[in-house]
Amino acid sequence: MTRDPRAFFALDIGAATASATLVARLAGRWRLLGTLALPAAVGSAVVRRQLVERLIHADPGMAAAIGADPEALDRIPTVTVRSGTPRRLAVVAASERSLAPLRRVAVQTGWAVTSGSAATLDPLAMSRMLLDPGVDAVLAGAGDPPGADERGALPELGALVAAVAERRPDLTIILAGALTDELARFGDVGARPGEVLLGAAASATTDGHGLAELITELALPADDSRRAAISGLATLADLTARRVEYVEIGYDSGVRAIADPTLGRDEPVVQSAIIVDAALVPPEPDDAVLDHVLRWSTLQLDRHRLRDRLRELRITPWADAAGDGAALRLAAARAALGRLLEATDGMDRGVQPDLVVAGGGAWAVAPGPIITLAMADVLRRPGATQYAFDHARLLGPLGSIADHDERRAVMSDLADDLLIPLGSVVTPAGLRSGRSAGRLVVHSESGDTEIDLVPGALELVDLAPGQTAVADFRFRDSVRLGGKGRQFEVEVAGGLGGLLVDLRDVPLRLPERHDRRREQLETWQAALWAGLDR
Amino acid sequence: MGGARPVSGLAPNGHAHGHGLDLVPLRSLVEEAVDIRFALAPGDRVIAEEGSVVTVGVQLAERFRDTVLAATTVPESEDARPGERWTPTDAPVRRGPSRRPARRTGGELLFPWRDGWRVASGEHADPLEAPIGGIVREVRPGVGIVVRAAGRALRGIVALGGPTRGRLKLAAGPSGELRPGGLDVGLAGTILVVGARVDAETLTRARAMGVRGIVVAGLPSKERRDWIASEARQKAALHRLPPFAVLVLDGALRRSIAGPVVGLLEALEGREVAIVNDPPALVFDEPDLDVADPPPDLVRVRSGPDAGREGRWVASLGPRRFAHGIQLEAAQVRFAEGPAVVPVGDLERFCVVSPRAE
Repeated sequence: MTRDPRAFFALDIGAATASATLVARLAGRWRLLGTLALPAAVGSAVVRRQLVERLIHADPGMAAAIGADPEALDRIPTVTVRSGTPRRLAVVAASERSLAPLRRVAVQTGWAVTSGSAATLDPLAMSRMLLDPGVDAVLAGAGDPPGADERGALPELGALVAAVAERRPDLTIILAGALTDELARFGDVGARPGEVLLGAAASATTDGHGLAELITELALPADDSRRAAISGLATLADLTARRVEYVEIGYDSGVRAIADPTLGRDEPVVQSAIIVDAALVPPEPDDAVLDHVLRWSTLQLDRHRLRDRLRELRITPWADAAGDGAALRLAAARAALGRLLEATDGMDRGVQPDLVVAGGGAWAVAPGPIITLAMADVLRRPGATQYAFDHARLLGPLGSIADHDERRAVMSDLADDLLIPLGSVVTPAGLRSGRSAGRLVVHSESGDTEIDLVPGALELVDLAPGQTAVADFRFRDSVRLGGKGRQFEVEVAGGLGGLLVDLRDVPLRLPERHDRRREQLETWQAALWAGLDR
Repeated sequence: MGGARPVSGLAPNGHAHGHGLDLVPLRSLVEEAVDIRFALAPGDRVIAEEGSVVTVGVQLAERFRDTVLAATTVPESEDARPGERWTPTDAPVRRGPSRRPARRTGGELLFPWRDGWRVASGEHADPLEAPIGGIVREVRPGVGIVVRAAGRALRGIVALGGPTRGRLKLAAGPSGELRPGGLDVGLAGTILVVGARVDAETLTRARAMGVRGIVVAGLPSKERRDWIASEARQKAALHRLPPFAVLVLDGALRRSIAGPVVGLLEALEGREVAIVNDPPALVFDEPDLDVADPPPDLVRVRSGPDAGREGRWVASLGPRRFAHGIQLEAAQVRFAEGPAVVPVGDLERFCVVSPRAE
């Protein structure tokens, strides 16, 4: 940013959506003045101009004070992050055993991945895979030292990859583990346009941290919105002194990150993964994707029709967003969230986050309470968690501010505007089925609310954004809610969805029959979806 | 529009925006200077040379159906490199009285291994002929050939089968559908524009009758899957039919072909066009053909229950509430049946050639 600006645009330009937010310095602190998201195809200049025109219409004085002029948009500094089509990495190894950790690292670092080992692909099929023009880079790896099952195949694998590198000099090649010994086969690597890089071995125990950093750098440019959002999350965790989890479902990928506050340490502790297969709708929705979406769908569609609708959603992500289209998006988003959790299994290490932030275009037009329900449907964690939504897609642009102190100052000022509070979800686990599991009394400023806790039910307590309350749970039998016990006092915060007491099974059990499952999902959804036409 | 009734009266800022047409994504009717990629696999034999000018029907390569992996030795005097063709210089020795020349099998060098080379070679070659004229910009054995097309291209979302070439014929109205009974052998050699949707049975029959290609607005997933399976079976057969391709213009659901696209296709009727896969497009080399600029306020519902409807832009309305309480940017559009409020995200508009991307 320029020195001492009065306002700036925060732009997040994705493959499907261009989002612009106007942030201005008013009364000595940064405030969010407006935000607008439109199909990416219209271009960010149109989005910025619309935003400025609306500001001028709403408050000409303020617009003049910050120098907002639709004819001189470039006078206002911009902080821009982008995300685009994922790059494709072909991962090869000598054996299936050594392929698995390499593939896991590749899948978690924002690459679209194709893979195969010498044990399952003959050299012709492997050459075909690596020479595919859609492949941008090749990761060829082995254990270090190599295992007995891969030792014999390494020289031939090295020769094959070196020949591919010669035929496609533009291809980036990463050699990992013991396969780095084959470097001599690649000749003068400095003379070719594509890099040949050497990385550490990925093993099932270490997750190949050094290798992950290397291939993340190759997968995503420095101004990538997802990388920036992860930096923004670390600052947010530090500012709030809370463990914060970010889950983004976007057009081309899903992101999951968990950040802990530094609490005096030098570096924030952040774990993150960018999963291409967790995109809202993959380019070619296969049967597994279809099954996942069908599980969450409230629409009366057969498999073929559902696949058609998913293809349409992929082709025109902004179209058909109301009515049935909204329900389809939510089903696809839940399915994508499920894929994201599956691919990042074990990331939370059993420690519940204090705050979960939802992001990405999948939730862009969904009503707030429904976002909370969708997350609660899939995350299924016993305990109490607060939920919020990065409604203006600010986490990325603000996370891209290079100067840590400046980023922290801007995010601190914007703390009240940055996230929309969706509410709190309390999920006890281990409830015994029966008519009543106990009583809940919510003590808030507006009075006490008493609720009978019926196993399998979803109970909603009105708690406006900004309000806090104490939820006093008294169960008949011992349950898990953070710890194990029968009495719990939980401090909860309000939001668009208020307080959601989720007494359903952990994990969630849905009826097998589609019609009954749909009816069940609709019933849960109807309780939180204002304006739902049934 | 059905399923998208406005609930709120005015935009939050108190009035209807008088303009705002630029909120609607612009779709270009034609693209110029398009680079077309023809995919090759290891073992395929390249014939075209980089930098050469190709005309329609010129053979670019030979694609092999049943490539296998073999091993060979290359004399040390040869400077062999991966991707090069290799033909044994010495014919295998034949015994007996046969006068037929011995078959010399060769292939593409994949990588050096031990004292020789791994080779990809095949028996049954299919010619890959240029469906378009142009300049060969890139040749990469085993990867692909890129040709800068001499003509212009109308983009689709996917092209299956192909590449192919034929005379364009409008076989159904923009919102119509072609059934198998509507096909006859007189259509052999044509590329048919078949309207809103087509089924796999019609596609299979069209291919069998010598039709070269189909252009359609929507191809449902089931029909797509069935046809791909049928095409795979046909490709495996010994007797091959001429190349056949399906160009899908919009998506998987039934909808009319866009008016401006219909205008272009009507202008091209009776002329030779090609369907190519990468990018999926209908390519035509007609320098004298003037493509009319669509009216600037013409908008089309791209997707959703009213997909395919066209109308005139009236005004941007700002955020409005639609079915299921979903709040979206809205616009007023005048359709033939009267004005309606439509989410802006459902709309698209057209221009002849798109302005430079941001």
